[in-house]
Amino acid sequence: MRLLIVEDDLEAARAMATALAERGYDCAQAPDGEAGLREARTGRFDVLIVDRMMPRLDGLSMVESLRKLGDNTPVLFLSALGEIHDRVSGLNAGGDDYLVKPYALAELVARVEALARRKESGGVQTLLKIGDLEMDLIAREVRRAGVEIDLQPREFQLLEFLMRHGGQSVTRTMLLEKVWEYHFDPQTNVIDVHISRLRGKIDKGFDKPMLQTVRGAGYRLEA
Amino acid sequence: MRLPRLFKTTTFRLTLLFLAVFATAASAFLAYIYVATAGEVNNRADSQVRKEMGALERIYQSGGLTALNQAVIERSSQNQPLLYLLMTPQGAPISGSIGASPVAHFTGQPAWASFALTETSVDGQAIRQPARGLEEQLSGGPRLFVGADVGESEAYVSKIIHALWGAGTLMVLLGLAGGLLISRDASRNAASLNGVIDRARGGDLGARAWVRGTGDEYDELATGLNDMLDRLARSIAGLRHAGDAIAHDLRSPLTRLRARLEAGIIEAEAGRANPNDTLHQALEDTDGVLRTFSAVLAIARLEAAADAPGKSLFDPSEMAAHVAELYQPLAEDKGVDFAIETARGLKVEGNREFIAQAVANLLDNAAKYTPAGGAIMLRTRRRASGDVEISVTDTGPGIGEADRERVVERFVRLENSRNEPGAGLGLSLVAAVARAHRGALELDEGPGVVDGSGPGLRVALVFPPAG
Repeated sequence: MRLLIVEDDLEAARAMATALAERGYDCAQAPDGEAGLREARTGRFDVLIVDRMMPRLDGLSMVESLRKLGDNTPVLFLSALGEIHDRVSGLNAGGDDYLVKPYALAELVARVEALARRKESGGVQTLLKIGDLEMDLIAREVRRAGVEIDLQPREFQLLEFLMRHGGQSVTRTMLLEKVWEYHFDPQTNVIDVHISRLRGKIDKGFDKPMLQTVRGAGYRLEA
Repeated sequence: MRLPRLFKTTTFRLTLLFLAVFATAASAFLAYIYVATAGEVNNRADSQVRKEMGALERIYQSGGLTALNQAVIERSSQNQPLLYLLMTPQGAPISGSIGASPVAHFTGQPAWASFALTETSVDGQAIRQPARGLEEQLSGGPRLFVGADVGESEAYVSKIIHALWGAGTLMVLLGLAGGLLISRDASRNAASLNGVIDRARGGDLGARAWVRGTGDEYDELATGLNDMLDRLARSIAGLRHAGDAIAHDLRSPLTRLRARLEAGIIEAEAGRANPNDTLHQALEDTDGVLRTFSAVLAIARLEAAADAPGKSLFDPSEMAAHVAELYQPLAEDKGVDFAIETARGLKVEGNREFIAQAVANLLDNAAKYTPAGGAIMLRTRRRASGDVEISVTDTGPGIGEADRERVVERFVRLENSRNEPGAGLGLSLVAAVARAHRGALELDEGPGVVDGSGPGLRVALVFPPAG
């Protein structure tokens, strides 16, 4: 997996590259939007990590140019601007995800992983399957080892997100953003309670728990 | 060349424009008067002359030169306004009341001439009177001139014209003077507004324009300017306050972090502690500082903003149900009964995310402080005043009346909350959200003491009706 980090803060870029290399990603760096666009146009990258505010060419313009050229490589925006309208403008410019600074490296890695995987899978799936856990998105049914599991609508959405990102770490913030669509930081870890309820439904009575807690990051669903 | 200030004002230019229009209209008016009076007088004289000429011609045709001569002599001797001169074909006078024809070069064709007639008045003075006449060659040779004294009518016309010019000049002068006065008044008003703007530009945000109370457009402008300056001053004061607050609020946690790192290094160097533990602790502390920073920044931004950003019209009941769904398991796991009661058809105009966060903070607090066996109720309703209320009621210990105002201040944590997580910013954020939406945050006693718990707390976010 090759990543391009377009960030003018070289210190931050180095820290990112270190953390991502740890996870087996091959990272290239570009110090500004122009260099970033040049590099990205070679088409060698699976995910682009783009800072919004950069000299020469800002991140939004860079990604807009790239999208106009028909390049659909997943883009994760990094920005100090975290208001809703900033996120919206980032996503409108062609970004696939938006991470507000300061961020934990675990959060960055989880989001990059999610984007990289999305490029891999592609297509619309109606049946998700991890190990003996199956989700039918049309019939809205979940089965583990053939036994139907009854889920509340939100639990279903939560499990769907976890299954789509099976084997990857997903953070609490990602869940709050993608499943509940909130961008604030709840003081108590309400997400943990939802996860533990879901865990009670899909793992109870089975030898092998699938929904794992990843220390310092979040959760992972794996067979 | 520099024009005096007055000549550069819009009002003065407008005055000049109106004057130009007025002068054009006055000229057209004068021209019309001239044609209608002086022209008419001449026409009348001309037709009289023509008629007389015709009458004499008929006399000539019927009675010949002798009869004509006799008629001319007869008419000339009478004291009448017409003038006569009968001449030979060569132009030599035969008879008449004037000595020579005023037509300088007679060609044989009928010719008109205007001339001055010198008369002697009663007191012996010579008066030149304007006159007009027609000379014709009658068939058979003799030339005849018939003229009319137009002096009196023309004098009358010229008096009218003089009067008109005089009146016109007077009106132009009055218009100019009035225009100058009005533009001076207007430019004085504009100058006073400009003075306020200049002072504000120079940094004096306390400058205010004088509203005279006349309710005219200058008053409106002054009121608008003052309102704008008020908002600007408030917003700048808010930003300044926010800056101070952030500096103050971050100083203590950063100081704590620094002290811990320093102590960690000392301990590690002495071999008494694992540097890894220090790093982990520092990371955790940093996250805490960042969380505090985000919360303080959000509060400061809301406080500095005159209005909540990113507003939309939404249903608060639907929003409340959405947030409740996030918190319900938390309450249930704690053994607290959670209920929601929402009214239909409510609308709030505001930043949905901010208000959702405010409600989340209220539910978070309620879940934290309500003991097992208690209850939390989230309710939305329309008040009799039309205001929309989102309230959270719990059966926890509540907040004493004396402390209710204090708890919304930043970092205020009451004694019984010391061992709960949080930085003491939750209610401050809720209050800031309410203020940014021109709403209010109300704290009250809950349902009262029941079975040794309570009296509980009722927190209401009140928003003005949308639209």
